[in-house]
Amino acid sequence: MLKPLTPILTVAVPPHIHCGRTLRRYVLDTLVALLPAAVMAVIAFGTDALRVMALSCATAVLAEAACNRLMKREQTVDDYSALVTGLLFAFLLPASAPWWLVAIGSAACIGLGKMIFGGLGGNPLSPPLVGWALCRISWPAFMDTNATMLMSDLPPPLQQLKYFGVDAVSSLDPVSLLMGHQLGGLGEIQIIALLAGGAYLLLRRHISWHIPAGFIGGLLATALIYRLLDPAAYAPPLFHLLAGGAIFGAFFLATDESSSPLGSLPALLFGIMAGAMVIVIRVYGIYPDGVPFAILLANLFTPLLDRIRPKPFGGPYSFFDEEDAR
Amino acid sequence: MTRFNFDLQTGETGPLTKAPRPDMVNLPLSGQTPLLGVDDQVLNGTKVSTADNDFDGDMHAPLSGRIREITPHAMRIEVTGDDKAPASAPCTGKGDELRQWLRDRGVNTRNLYPAQTLIINAVPPEPGISIFEPLLRDYRKTLEIGLDLVKRIVEPSKLFQVVAKGNKANAFANCTVTHVTPVYPNGLDPLVIKTVTGREIIPGSRPDDISILSVKDLYLIGRAAETGRPLTETVMTIGDSNQLVVVGTPVGFLTAESGASVQPGDRVVIGGPLRGLAAVNLEQGVDKDASGLHILRRSESAAVTDNPCLGCGQCERHCPARIMPGMISRCAEFKQFRRAEAFHIHSCMECGLCAYWCKAQRPLLQYIRLAKYELALLADADKEPRTETDATDGES
Ligand code: SF4
Ligand code: SF4
Repeated sequence: MLKPLTPILTVAVPPHIHCGRTLRRYVLDTLVALLPAAVMAVIAFGTDALRVMALSCATAVLAEAACNRLMKREQTVDDYSALVTGLLFAFLLPASAPWWLVAIGSAACIGLGKMIFGGLGGNPLSPPLVGWALCRISWPAFMDTNATMLMSDLPPPLQQLKYFGVDAVSSLDPVSLLMGHQLGGLGEIQIIALLAGGAYLLLRRHISWHIPAGFIGGLLATALIYRLLDPAAYAPPLFHLLAGGAIFGAFFLATDESSSPLGSLPALLFGIMAGAMVIVIRVYGIYPDGVPFAILLANLFTPLLDRIRPKPFGGPYSFFDEEDAR
Repeated sequence: MTRFNFDLQTGETGPLTKAPRPDMVNLPLSGQTPLLGVDDQVLNGTKVSTADNDFDGDMHAPLSGRIREITPHAMRIEVTGDDKAPASAPCTGKGDELRQWLRDRGVNTRNLYPAQTLIINAVPPEPGISIFEPLLRDYRKTLEIGLDLVKRIVEPSKLFQVVAKGNKANAFANCTVTHVTPVYPNGLDPLVIKTVTGREIIPGSRPDDISILSVKDLYLIGRAAETGRPLTETVMTIGDSNQLVVVGTPVGFLTAESGASVQPGDRVVIGGPLRGLAAVNLEQGVDKDASGLHILRRSESAAVTDNPCLGCGQCERHCPARIMPGMISRCAEFKQFRRAEAFHIHSCMECGLCAYWCKAQRPLLQYIRLAKYELALLADADKEPRTETDATDGES
């Protein structure tokens, strides 16, 4: 006889409690951290910045919805992660970017950077950087933050360093760089606001300190080595840290969960590697700012770095013969 | 939801009380073969089923009454009184003879074998479970009887007692007391063994030279020896009190006695919130391992999702086994069970912390258990001679 089961209990596997964090809240946290920089960008570049950011975010969300539709998958846009990717991508663009560039780039971030690998959590590269790289290579003239912003009287520090040498940038005051008085991607150069956002993420334990610390440490150390080799040819470390997208990369791009290593030591190494590559690319590369390519390169090493693991508890152990356990 | 407190300090607890007698008991029968049938009369202490393996204890009726129903999972006995079957004479033997005697009296003897080191685990298994405190304080004599008996089987040369810092040790004679930080999961056996010996044992495996028992084990063994009656009780923390509960008492009876009301959608957890077993319904009887009872309201319990793993590493940072629960869950999600071994799934001690911390609210421990289960099946299949059409699992 079937007995009435009242009350019907919830039956589930342990643990029965949870820390209370949700994916959506987590993504929204990133958005909150980006907000100060977005506001500063609008103050610095006016409605142009607003236009680029809005278009990029909207395209990203639509692209994700369309991909999900095409792939016949459940809609995932309500986790806001596409919104964040769109905003991160916009931060890398000059405020003067034409609408089609923003749209193509943003759609590429989602399509090629994320959805093609199965969506959130599957991407081997940082999605905003995939879109950025595509645009940078295809339409270099439009992506050049200096050439497209000739009307602005802000100095483009990295371009000056690249084309006119250290002397040209020696007059740039670190404090004004910190306050965002420079030309670059519309959001990536709002250094002080990004630092505030980064601190927020660290305090909320949203990101761990390993990647930003490694990144900044690696960048400063490498810059210092060059500086010591020849102070007349190479810019001081602090300049490298404050010019261009280094801070943005350290706190927001390199820390992308899926494309960065999991463990503490691998994360630290990953950061150092990316930071050091920034300087190497800035010194030898054809692009003035090395941050995006440096992080993309480091992303490629993530699977390798993730192999650095502590010994598992009591293990390794397998049910099967040696040759069977793969 | 407020942040859960992982503190293992128990503070002052009241005395051990005896839970009221239920009108009906549901004896859990998993791993047991029933000896009696429906409508048979039983006395308190009548053996009703035997264990299928050779270390689990047999099951005895905890009270007298009549068997009403037998399903593969449980035997329902309508309780009419407490007429006791005659007590048996104490066993004077030792070694395997004593072991069999205990098993016959319902004691799980899995950890009773000759070993150089005997560890008494007095660290609360989970936050909010304080059963060891009153036992160590008020039942000295019973514990010592239990320990004597255990020593006759284990014949240890070294005896350790492990205690969480801040909790009273009330140490046994000739034993070394080791303290651990009073934070979950430090009371889990693999971690306790590591604290004492420095060795890491794959969870679930049995080291040859170390035997580990909890204070509760000693108490129940001691009680069986003292009274000459089989083991039909367990000690549980229910709310703020510690109670001696007969095995098979329906959880609904216990919650009602404690004055709590259970709403639809709640979880009634036998054990602690991190490792406990969710009762299927209010009639489910508590088993011998039960050490606590928690009611979790729907709003405060973990809601799992099928969100993808972000690769944020949060789970990994809290894992005491130093493995990557996120990656293992991905393997399990895509049925690549053998690959889970490459991520060291067997090191997992099922503490539940990974799923507690997962931002994506993935049911990580469920995935891990599934993979372990499937791996055990695969390993079994492997023992049989291989054929050309051997089923493989995806990648391997
Ligand atoms: S349950 Fe999770 S956190 Fe705990 S040991 Fe297993 S994998 Fe690690
Ligand atoms: S905490 Fe959850 S989302 Fe993060 S890596 Fe672990 S399983 Fe993946």
